Amino acid sequence: MSSDALLLVSGLHVGYGHVPVVRGVSLEVGTGEMVTLIGANGAGKSTLLKALAGLVRPSAGSVTLDGEDVTGAPPERLVRKGLALVPEGRMLFGPMTVAENLAVGAHTRRPRDPGVAEDRDRVCELFPVLAERADQSAATLSGGEQQMLAIGRALMSRPRILLLDEPSLGLAPRVIGAIFSALDRLRADGLGILLVEQDAKLALKHSDRGHVLRAGRIALGGSAEELIANDDVRLIYLGAWHGTE
Amino acid sequence: MIATLLTRVRYGAVIAIGVVVAVLPLLTGDRYLIGKVLVFVALNLIIVSGLALVFGFAGQISLGHAAFCGLGAYTTGFLVTTLDWPPLLGVVAAVLISGLGGLALALPSLRLKGHYLAMATLGFNEIMSVLFVEMDAVTGGNNGLSGIPYFSVAGARFDTPALNYWLVWGVAAVVLALAYNIVRGRPGRAMRALHGSEIGALASGVDTTRLKVQVFGLSAAFAGLAGALYAHSVGFVSPTTFSLETSVILVAMVVIGGSGSLAGPVMAAVVLTLVPYADALVPGLSADTVALMQDWEADVYGILMIGVIILAPGGLGRLLVSRRDRRVAEAGEAA
Repeated sequence: MSSDALLLVSGLHVGYGHVPVVRGVSLEVGTGEMVTLIGANGAGKSTLLKALAGLVRPSAGSVTLDGEDVTGAPPERLVRKGLALVPEGRMLFGPMTVAENLAVGAHTRRPRDPGVAEDRDRVCELFPVLAERADQSAATLSGGEQQMLAIGRALMSRPRILLLDEPSLGLAPRVIGAIFSALDRLRADGLGILLVEQDAKLALKHSDRGHVLRAGRIALGGSAEELIANDDVRLIYLGAWHGTE
Repeated sequence: MIATLLTRVRYGAVIAIGVVVAVLPLLTGDRYLIGKVLVFVALNLIIVSGLALVFGFAGQISLGHAAFCGLGAYTTGFLVTTLDWPPLLGVVAAVLISGLGGLALALPSLRLKGHYLAMATLGFNEIMSVLFVEMDAVTGGNNGLSGIPYFSVAGARFDTPALNYWLVWGVAAVVLALAYNIVRGRPGRAMRALHGSEIGALASGVDTTRLKVQVFGLSAAFAGLAGALYAHSVGFVSPTTFSLETSVILVAMVVIGGSGSLAGPVMAAVVLTLVPYADALVPGLSADTVALMQDWEADVYGILMIGVIILAPGGLGRLLVSRRDRRVAEAGEAA
């Protein structure tokens, strides 16, 4: 833990109207680090990610991105600063083609930026199926392919921090494996990843650190190994009754 | 294969229509048709291509575009007749003032949605209608402004109906090409993304509010341009031309033409503009029939709008889309 982390969240409060959802969360994500947030439904995980991506304004606390205060900044500024969100439910542009979805991901960059074509090639190398389906509409893709497209679209802004909201939801185990090995590769290339995931066991296995969010507060935090070994975590989030793997 | 063939057919059709429109004044000397009716068609095309962007792509509604049109018409009318400005500067000023007016209205109004935005733009149209009458010194009040000359620039004078016709249609072609480029290019893609998923678009860094304001401003500038060209074509501007009723008719063209399409509203604009002038196209139509059609003009638009909303909610534009595209689009809606 160092104060020069890429993403530094401190005492963040987020609510809808008068209903507080996130109540004083502090965490940080560094370069090439994967951090997982686990917690029950309604614990505030998605709301926290939305606030970090600028889709909801926090009511208190601060967010620092690469040393710059970006608390309450609009999403387009955060995308330009190198933070991208893969939203819950993928939120693709269904009638548009795969290629167009990727192009919108690069919306904040100059159209003639040669880096955009490079990144498109990189995304297609990471998920070759996207190159095969480039001219198909996003709505015709399978669930796994759609998730790959959602991640690819986020990568098109060349982020340094990637926020992922439930990337494994509703997908077959083999596809989930492909997505997590892609995330491993991205992390190895220096991308910082903040992951919200129902499948806590899977997420912690791939992460450096983790936090347990309970009723809008961080109830527990530590290295992935510590959390996997923690009895409470095993019982509540890892489904320990199925075995001790 | 079929897609490329279709594209070729479409390009061919566009070129053929362009040629017919261009040579028409050589084939007929009809002053009513060339000097008036078809000029109105071109002017409405200019307004509707902007309004189609606002409605069909940015998802906003404006019941105030007749007022922007009037703003453009009065701006050039006043500058050219009262202050003796050259018509080119008058038209440029008209475009700038209506464009800025559009931005000024859009900034606060686009925080509103649906009915409230409709009300705000409607209110704007009513305010402008009153101003056009009351600002006597500039607008000539109820009498309007007359004696506005044909457009001219650097010695080139467009002072016959045929020359004026070519000028207005030339401008309309440029505006249509511009609108087509916007739809096909980056802003259009961002707007379609916004329709696909607002959260997805925001997360991709699309500044949706800014995009909506820009589109609204551009469409107001288009309307102002059409108004200015109207003033120079007709030579006379009066306040009733830019009433709320005109705004409603313009929106009707876009709704009947269809959301998310440029070709649909363009065709609707052509057809609906011609309805009250059927006598110019169909020779031997009795004066009674024409008068009847003009009396029922608003009703025809209303019935068409209701029919489209019930029978083809996507509008005429949707019916043009090839079957393959439509299947894909429907799959997208189901997902």
